[in-house]
Amino acid sequence: MAKDMTLLWGSGSPPCWRIMIVLEEKNLQGYNQKLLSFEKGEHKSKEVMEINPRGQLPAFKCGDVPLNESCAACFHLECKYKSQGTKLIPDCEDEKAQILQRVFEVNALTEKSSIVLYYNWIVPEGERHDSAVKRNKEALTAELKLWEGYLQKASSGFIVGKDFSLADVIVYPTVAYLFQNGLSEQRYPKLAEYYKGLMNRPSIKASWPPTWKNAPKQETLKDI
Amino acid sequence: MAKDMTLLWGTGSPPCWRVMIALEEKNLQGYDHKLLSFEKMEHKSQQVLDINPRGQLPTFKHGDNVINESYAACFYLESQFKSQGTKLIPDGPAEQALMYQRMFEGLTFYEKLNAVIYYEWYVPEGERHESALKRNKEALVTELKLWEGYLQKLGSGSYLAGPSFTLADVVVFPTVGTVFRFGLSPERYPKLGEYYNLLKERPSVKASWPPHWLENPKGQDTLKDI
Repeated sequence: MAKDMTLLWGSGSPPCWRIMIVLEEKNLQGYNQKLLSFEKGEHKSKEVMEINPRGQLPAFKCGDVPLNESCAACFHLECKYKSQGTKLIPDCEDEKAQILQRVFEVNALTEKSSIVLYYNWIVPEGERHDSAVKRNKEALTAELKLWEGYLQKASSGFIVGKDFSLADVIVYPTVAYLFQNGLSEQRYPKLAEYYKGLMNRPSIKASWPPTWKNAPKQETLKDI
Repeated sequence: MAKDMTLLWGTGSPPCWRVMIALEEKNLQGYDHKLLSFEKMEHKSQQVLDINPRGQLPTFKHGDNVINESYAACFYLESQFKSQGTKLIPDGPAEQALMYQRMFEGLTFYEKLNAVIYYEWYVPEGERHESALKRNKEALVTELKLWEGYLQKLGSGSYLAGPSFTLADVVVFPTVGTVFRFGLSPERYPKLGEYYNLLKERPSVKASWPPHWLENPKGQDTLKDI
């Protein structure tokens, strides 16, 4: 039950946010949780390392079992609590296939946006190249155009089909994160529509990153 | 059924191998398939792009359903063919949770491996640095030690999520197969070595073993000193 679950999380982190959305969707409110600060290095603290030897957030425990990888936690929770809350993976073969496909494509979007957003964090000074920065930005632009295309074909405000699914759980936090970092709504109108359309969904509203509520948006991605 | 399935694949590609192991485990032999060459850039050919706009392998179709992400295809196959072949997702909640956890950690393992063995494929000549490759190797060693630890805790003869072969083994074994192909020392990583020896005899793994590894039994030695 919810009170056997513990989540250590950081505000604005898409992987943390995904788990929180699933917990809301499956009516598992009331779980133990603690907000930690990446800036203060709290993700490397002993209490995190005890659950997650990788020293990363989210650090999530379902009873005694650690499920630190956000997708692992989401799949497990959907499976274990299949009969309560929102059904996140439908039975219909065609929709299931598309949902699974989109869930795993998010990895590409995350990698390509991270290398742009965090280039100077990931790459030490002596190894940075303008050619790499340019190539990374081009790759992210191509990736975003793919997603813009997927949403062009979507008709109900969800990434796949007519209902909110696991694909939205995994995709939405990443999309929101991009807009929080200055992605242009004019250049990516379908992504913007998707972002705004789901903002008020109860599970998303309830888990909206607290540090975003009063903070101005960053501008890192405004020229992508 | 298998004859409604098409797989475009490349030899030695862990993502392709994952799907092939899953198809074998679910008794779905007889699917249409075509071996393409990364070297000849066939993954960017029109026949691939028509199914997979990303121009990547594997590219997998079941009827009208296109599922190119290897993990997605594996989950899909287990779900759609649950009642045939090997049961790949265990019922026990603790084992199932461990399976999911290891599966997704498997993605990190795969990325860290690629950052070393395919460094020159990914990084253009003018941007390569010894310091970067060194750092990538250190990250891979840390990752390998984690997996060595996971196997140590479960004991000899165990699979990644416990006593049974699961989806975690389907998706992670190809990465383990690759690390030994590239010269990892089984003396330095005995638990991974034991796991490799256990799985390489499994029928589904043998049936889908990369053909060019059979042709050239001697692999590379990129990882022999790490």
